[in-house]
Amino acid sequence: MLNLETFKILQNYFQQLPIELKFVWVLSFILTVFAIIFTFYLKILRNSLRKKEALTIKYQKEYEDLLLSFLFEEIENNELSNKQNQFIKTIENEINNNFKRKIIVETLLKLKNEVSGEIETAIQDIYLKSNLKEHAYKQLKSKKWDKVANGIKEFTKFKVKEAYPEIKKLIKYPKKEVRKEVELYLVSLFHFEGLEFLNDLKISLSEWDQIELLEELQKLDNQEIPDITVWLNSKNESVVSFSLKLAKIYNKYETVETLLKLLNHKNQKIRLQVIDVLTHLQVFDAKDILKNSFKKRSQEEKIAIFKMFENICEPSDEDFIVENTTNSNFEIQYLAIKMLKEINEKAFNYLLKNQNKFYNKELLKFVQNN
Amino acid sequence: MKETKNIVLAEDNTTLSQLLKFRLQKEGYNAFIAQDGKQAISLIEQHKPNLILTDIMMPFISGLEVISHVRNKLKSETPIIVFSAAGQEEMVLKAFNLGATDFMSKPFSPNELIIRIKRILT
Repeated sequence: MLNLETFKILQNYFQQLPIELKFVWVLSFILTVFAIIFTFYLKILRNSLRKKEALTIKYQKEYEDLLLSFLFEEIENNELSNKQNQFIKTIENEINNNFKRKIIVETLLKLKNEVSGEIETAIQDIYLKSNLKEHAYKQLKSKKWDKVANGIKEFTKFKVKEAYPEIKKLIKYPKKEVRKEVELYLVSLFHFEGLEFLNDLKISLSEWDQIELLEELQKLDNQEIPDITVWLNSKNESVVSFSLKLAKIYNKYETVETLLKLLNHKNQKIRLQVIDVLTHLQVFDAKDILKNSFKKRSQEEKIAIFKMFENICEPSDEDFIVENTTNSNFEIQYLAIKMLKEINEKAFNYLLKNQNKFYNKELLKFVQNN
Repeated sequence: MKETKNIVLAEDNTTLSQLLKFRLQKEGYNAFIAQDGKQAISLIEQHKPNLILTDIMMPFISGLEVISHVRNKLKSETPIIVFSAAGQEEMVLKAFNLGATDFMSKPFSPNELIIRIKRILT
């Protein structure tokens, strides 16, 4: 035990120490205290998480059993039995507790995501008949963005179409996570019609949002896509980019006229994307426009144009191709020589024999042998 | 007397497996539930089922490994129905190459599953 005398000895020792050592001692003391507090905090946190986990498993099991007995009754009888009404009442009583409500929703979704048909409808009925839906509406009005996003996600998963007016208001929500959930809600429930929000979208649609929307659209049975011209002409460049992806995936040949106009879009990324879509759609009409404006275009566009010609070049393109067999860009030069060999082997052989200092001899030899 | 047919169901979603177990028992089958591939293999070896239902993605041992074990190690021709999720088309092809009999894509209707089981087992 630390008695008074020992304490005084230590105090004297400490006072005699140089200032640097005093500082080190104080610092060590503070850090030790901090480490002890932190260890206790972690221990308490771990225990609390374990308790929460155990409680979650307990409630999950409880609600799972209740849900299954509801569904077994549903299979036996078509109308709601007393047992089923009791189950819905139990849910109604439990959902005031946020923790329990979350587990109930998770339990319902765990099965709903795996089954279709009458069982899925029965789960949907539980969601609609108990007050779960009203709680999700409350979440939409929350000041916390994560609660709003969760509310929308819940409506998407349970396919609650009637929440549309409330959810549509959130399309301009400042937090992008919420906007993404709104977009997914609209597309999942209203399919291509849900894309109407693109008409007057001012905020940028991130690449990730676009991928998620496309993935959702490809799950749909009906793959008939509406007219996308409005979106191709949008002032919002992310909407134009997204609609170009749609044009490529859904082979929108009817948009060719708009696509050709977009070759002069002010954003180079869009112009490159347009060339890529035109290549995919094999639009021969684009060739003359691109040939005439070739010199004015950026290096990336010139390469993209040559990659396009690689797929759709014809003998009538020979002059344009020959002109670029001495292009300063290696990739263009290679593609031009390769295409020349494909469309007119005689002209290629003539080039081989009469090559001047502007030609890359090794490249010509390589094309000749491949 | 008609012999009750055994079915081993390997599915890690407990709610779904309990629901299917109830449906199978209601149709007069003996259902044995495994929550992962490892349990499934031991149930298959123990009960020699007439039919195996297995999810593709499971902890420890996947559904594909279960099929491979049944066909290659146990040399059994027991029919196997595979459950797959959206985007697992390649896995389904692998399952067929390994010897799966049929597949159902999730979300699926339990009623449709029962019809397919009856067709296979009669």
